[in-house]
Amino acid sequence: MIQLVLGLAALSGVTAVLALLLEVADAYFADYGECRILINDGQKELTVQGGSKLLSTLMDQGIFIPSACGGRGSCGLCKLRVLEGGGPLLPTETPYMEAEDLQNAVRLACQVKVRNDLKLEIPPELFLIRVYRSRVVSLENLTDVIKGVELRLIDPPEISFKPGQFVQFQVPEYEGCPEPIYRAYSIASPARRADTIRLAITRAPNGLATTYIHDYLREGDEVVFNGPYGHFYLRDTDREMILVATGSGLAPILSILHQMADEGISRKATLFFGVRARKDLFYQEELRAIEQRLPTFKNVPVLSAPEPDDHWQGETGFPTDAAKSSIQDPANVEVYLCGNPLMINAAVKMFTEMGIGEDRIFYDKFG
Amino acid sequence: MGRFPIFQSPHLDEVERKMRPSGDYRHGFLGKDDRKLVQVLSEDEALVRSLSLTDGAIARKLADLTAQARKGLGGPVVVEGRFRVQVQEARGKIACPWGHPGLYPKTHVELTNLATGERLVWTDLAVHMIEAHGFYQGQGSPYRMEPSVLKRVLDL
Repeated sequence: MIQLVLGLAALSGVTAVLALLLEVADAYFADYGECRILINDGQKELTVQGGSKLLSTLMDQGIFIPSACGGRGSCGLCKLRVLEGGGPLLPTETPYMEAEDLQNAVRLACQVKVRNDLKLEIPPELFLIRVYRSRVVSLENLTDVIKGVELRLIDPPEISFKPGQFVQFQVPEYEGCPEPIYRAYSIASPARRADTIRLAITRAPNGLATTYIHDYLREGDEVVFNGPYGHFYLRDTDREMILVATGSGLAPILSILHQMADEGISRKATLFFGVRARKDLFYQEELRAIEQRLPTFKNVPVLSAPEPDDHWQGETGFPTDAAKSSIQDPANVEVYLCGNPLMINAAVKMFTEMGIGEDRIFYDKFG
Repeated sequence: MGRFPIFQSPHLDEVERKMRPSGDYRHGFLGKDDRKLVQVLSEDEALVRSLSLTDGAIARKLADLTAQARKGLGGPVVVEGRFRVQVQEARGKIACPWGHPGLYPKTHVELTNLATGERLVWTDLAVHMIEAHGFYQGQGSPYRMEPSVLKRVLDL
């Protein structure tokens, strides 16, 4: 028995050493040379050095594919069609692939390595995404766990985005984070303020990016971000709008409400903003100002666990339940959701059961 | 050792590599624990057995508490009149370092025993790793689950 175990251990050791040597050799000696990347039937053609992941290779060339996890293979957002040269689908990609994706040669850009010439198809709107250098002009504790971050653009000096969209914030290398990472945060500010964006960022327990933003980021620091991304924006219809937000999910909805006020869009709109207690409410003065400018808009804060000192007379419970009881005519309603994924999943189920089609329920699904 | 490995195979080497900080899993499921993965697994297996527990029973309890907490849609929920449990979910999903198919939501579940004030934290992936691999994470990992603490706090 001991001989068998020793034999297996020796065999394993040799195999492990060989595997390690292969990895080292690939990292240091593999030379994939120059590779050509043809995009959208030759609309763009890139010549790049092979050997890196497609996501970072494209980023180096100024083409930004949305990714909420910064290329760690944990969000499934960086999908694009690799028509030729991508090699076989990897086990790390399959969990994110729908049947339709598999038929259409969809891959995760963060998992495909550039080893040879490639043919890709990329949505043209992604070519408009830019890298922005900016400076932190203010930091504000909006609640115990949500930090407001205001960034003034340096280069380029202005950004154009659809209210509701998000940017990818680059967290630089810092203690405990050996290389830069990217995380997606929605823009809370109005689109008319093209030289500044405002973000509201919730501290995630053990989160690398939010730990940096909450504990290390200082006013005056330079911040790099890219964007804008996302399909969460105001649809051009006359339907009644039900907006449901929890926590920092208020950010993109606030930006949409600013757009409505600025453009005088007088659709009936009700925001159900769910937090735990009165101390967790934020941006309320701004929402009251929008109510003044938009008589058809109503802000309904919903507290799930008001404290005795709150003397709360308003709505309590889940914001989804408050929203449900307000809907008179589901056939004429459009729903906008942003917040924690548990709320979004529950809300989509509840609204579809009410007869509101998924084509009238809008949210950014990050995973 | 039952269903668990008796030596550090190349596959376990690969799993361990993924678990060390600064790889794909930056906090590192092994934390500052410098033992080989097989040692961590076998020592925890012995610990769990000495407490007359099983990985399955522990994982089932944690999964049940997580399911109850999900009903709070991110807010705290009192379960069995003795635990306050809250689940937070971040964007994105995470794969098991053992490499089999399936992704786990990035959850952070926090439980407080209302009688003692003692606290536990875990994730969906942590529950899976206990159930499928008998892995309670390394010393110094933010999500290390000490079997004796689990037994005491959850009254198993």
